[in-house]
Amino acid sequence: MEYNPADLAALEPDQFSAATQTPLPRRELGRGVLALLVILRIYVLLAIPLVAYAFVRALLAGQS
Amino acid sequence: MLETTLASPSRPEDATREDYLRVFDRARVLRARAAGRSTRLLWLLAGPGVLVMLGENDGPSMVSYATTGATYGVGFFAPFILLTFAMAFVVQEMTVRLGVATHRGHAELIFQRFGPFWGYFAIADLAFGNLLTLVTEFIAVQAGGLFFGVPPWISVGLGVLVVFASLALRRYATWERALMVLALGNLLFIPAALLAHPDGAALARAITTWRPLPDDMGAAFVTLILATVGATVTPWMIFFQQSAVVDKGMTRADLPQGRTDTAIGASLAAIAAIATLVASAPLFAAKIDVSQFANGADFATALRPLIGTTGATLFALGIIEAGLLAAMTIATSSSYALSEVVASRHSLNLDFKHGKMFYGVAIGSTLIAAATVLIPGAPLLAMTLTVNVIATLLMAPALLFLLLLANDRFVMGDLANGWRANLAGGTIVVAISLIGALYGVITVFPSLIGK
Repeated sequence: MEYNPADLAALEPDQFSAATQTPLPRRELGRGVLALLVILRIYVLLAIPLVAYAFVRALLAGQS
Repeated sequence: MLETTLASPSRPEDATREDYLRVFDRARVLRARAAGRSTRLLWLLAGPGVLVMLGENDGPSMVSYATTGATYGVGFFAPFILLTFAMAFVVQEMTVRLGVATHRGHAELIFQRFGPFWGYFAIADLAFGNLLTLVTEFIAVQAGGLFFGVPPWISVGLGVLVVFASLALRRYATWERALMVLALGNLLFIPAALLAHPDGAALARAITTWRPLPDDMGAAFVTLILATVGATVTPWMIFFQQSAVVDKGMTRADLPQGRTDTAIGASLAAIAAIATLVASAPLFAAKIDVSQFANGADFATALRPLIGTTGATLFALGIIEAGLLAAMTIATSSSYALSEVVASRHSLNLDFKHGKMFYGVAIGSTLIAAATVLIPGAPLLAMTLTVNVIATLLMAPALLFLLLLANDRFVMGDLANGWRANLAGGTIVVAISLIGALYGVITVFPSLIGK
């Protein structure tokens, strides 16, 4: 494929792969947002072992 | 606003092969827009939405729909499936807006805006869920192959080769079109459903009235509710569609087409899902116990005397397609996300030299998943049933990140969520969390609401 530098105008400046290497600044997380993130993380950490328990129980039931 | 903080345009000598390939695609879009050719414009910009929705009609999803049809017939679950795809549209539309507003993938946005602590949690959820789901896609491929008498090592091996062949294209646009052709196979469930001679009036009544309701609304019913939600909205979809929108080079001007693409995908996927429900309903009428069915092929085999060999064959082919398409999209979702996290280059336009991490993740996860399926005695049935449940449980935190980013005016500008999107998104987070919590209660205290 022939690369023509003039064609680069078809891309917006922030679409170039080099432009996306510049990281965005961190945002400040308020207490409400932090609380939501923590609550849902606890939810996942509690739920996954439950699923694992149900998975093992199903396996044992299948073997018996 | 985001634009003010970004680097200035790259110099031509800084542009990469990836940039030039994207330029080539964008030039066609700009020409179509300038010529006012709206149909061609939609055709050029369609892809991420159709692929993400039909990709989510994957192996375990189709097994879930089939289990639902065989257990409860056509009733409550037909409109429920429509509702879940409406939910999926609400969620995925946000990823399109995020993609066109930021030109960055979902994983890198989470890392950059929330920091690595929360970023690693989000990626761990995704990597865990994606790997498990990828295993179930190869279970579907293996199961479909068994229906045709193909040994597992051949069907799974061929599946791996197809995934690798798609990666070898090293061109986003070609990859996307190839997968869209494959995605048409999802519609094989429609003729399979027609061969089941469904009662159109009963289907229309079910969709409009949500009846008949199941007699038994115990643990099995809640699990199927959870699995049906997990069959429609999952974390990999968020990461995949946003990255695909960015890789395709879509901009703010393309947002209407991006929304239409997502709506078309949701509609096609909902039709295919309901078709699977309808195709399996004869098993309900014949009172066949499907609780010990291991995979989609068992459904196809059981359906053969009820809907004929042609219908059963279409069903089995549909299961293979569902597994293959999802294996490609989910492996790519992992590639995008993990490469974004380590700031490695991430695009299907990369050559192998510059995309070692990107292609390595897809190749590695595909090989691990395929090898797991071939382990003698592996608990494939239990895995298939569990994966959608896990996807639903992991969806709540993934949705919270999505909502927070979609409300982040620094990155979204005027494309930030309005109150309607927040109300819909917030309702979905609460609903999914409550269903998950209910599942947890039922798992620990199964006697509470019976089987």
